[in-house]
Amino acid sequence: MTIANLPETRHAVLLVGSAKPEGASTSQALGEALLTRLTAHGIAGSTFLVQRVLRTEERIQQLLAAINTADIVVLAFPLYVDTLPYLVTSTLERIARHRQETASGSAPLFVAIVNCGFPEVAHNALALRVCRQFARQAHFTWGGGLALGGGGVLNGQSPDQAGGKARRIMQSLNLAADALAQGQPVPEAAVGLMARPIIPAGLYMLMGDIGWVQQAWQNDVLWKLGNRPFAERIGQG
Amino acid sequence: MNATILNGALTGDCAVDAVNNILKGELTAQGWQVRSWQLREEKIAFCLGCFECWVKSPGLCRIDDVGRDVAESVIASDLAIYLTPITFGGYSSELKKAVDRSICLISPFFQRIDGEVHHHARYKHFPRLLGVGLLPAPDTEQEDIFRTLVSRNAINMHAPTQQALVLYNDRSTDEISALLQPVLFEGRVLA
Repeated sequence: MTIANLPETRHAVLLVGSAKPEGASTSQALGEALLTRLTAHGIAGSTFLVQRVLRTEERIQQLLAAINTADIVVLAFPLYVDTLPYLVTSTLERIARHRQETASGSAPLFVAIVNCGFPEVAHNALALRVCRQFARQAHFTWGGGLALGGGGVLNGQSPDQAGGKARRIMQSLNLAADALAQGQPVPEAAVGLMARPIIPAGLYMLMGDIGWVQQAWQNDVLWKLGNRPFAERIGQG
Repeated sequence: MNATILNGALTGDCAVDAVNNILKGELTAQGWQVRSWQLREEKIAFCLGCFECWVKSPGLCRIDDVGRDVAESVIASDLAIYLTPITFGGYSSELKKAVDRSICLISPFFQRIDGEVHHHARYKHFPRLLGVGLLPAPDTEQEDIFRTLVSRNAINMHAPTQQALVLYNDRSTDEISALLQPVLFEGRVLA
């Protein structure tokens, strides 16, 4: 799809793959920041939280119908154990099966935004390869992927409200939206900006570990952080 | 020796179930005790990403369901087998649901492993990891993604050894047994 033959009214669907409550996830914050930018280009947007979608067959059908008429589908999700979380995998299985059974002829752009809790962005690479495979098998046009390391720094906050630490994230999303609105995939410059570390890895590890200790203290389990509840039963007592 | 098979077959996935039975038979014949979880038949909630298993009830998921039993079964094993139809190169949703619930087995604290940040182990002993994925036909990219995913999981789940094996759905029982035996008993996963 190029600018010359873009339809007049275009639609973007945002799929949020986090299991966290609405408004609490970094995935939603990143996805909505991109959707807002697409809206500024005159693209109508709608958001689906996969944790809600999967609760009823009616909602699944609504999502599938929305994707059928979409020009751009954005998937924003957190990295779970090196790849896509269960919620996202299950949703993509449904979408792929539907599109393989009812080939519509359209091939919307499919874009992925992944963030992880490790400081290095490289942890996300495999998940983006999985997304690209999904796009191929479900008859989408691969629109590229944006990966963010150290997602804990945003902690659910919109990059537009996060100040200087999110400056490069916003620049990345601006470039991505400009390209997607033209029917083009996410440019390498946007990928590079999103991949830049928000803070150094060593500092992220220190802040992260302090955060775990603080949460354990608040929960009155500081001295139990190393508990091994299955140890006695498996002979590691 | 104990082995736990996490069978991620989706409904109607006969080929994966057949491999499950072959794996179980081969290991049992060698004196292993095998626990096979048919995950699609278990009521397992998905991981909420709340981290309570790290900072509120350390080592234990807040959701009291079969997911806890599966995690315990894994950590009690000498060998964990992730069996799955290869799905976009990765695991099926059924397998991924159980794998996501296994983060209670590791600690929240960070450490560097080969220069890369991961989480500390919670337990002294972790199982070796074997990934067995099924595809309808050869697919270089999906096979590479699958092998890489198993190796990445092995790092994060502190598996002392790991191996990934890709099988094709049209293989006979004898062919699959012939492929599995050297992996199980001669390959690097149990070396």
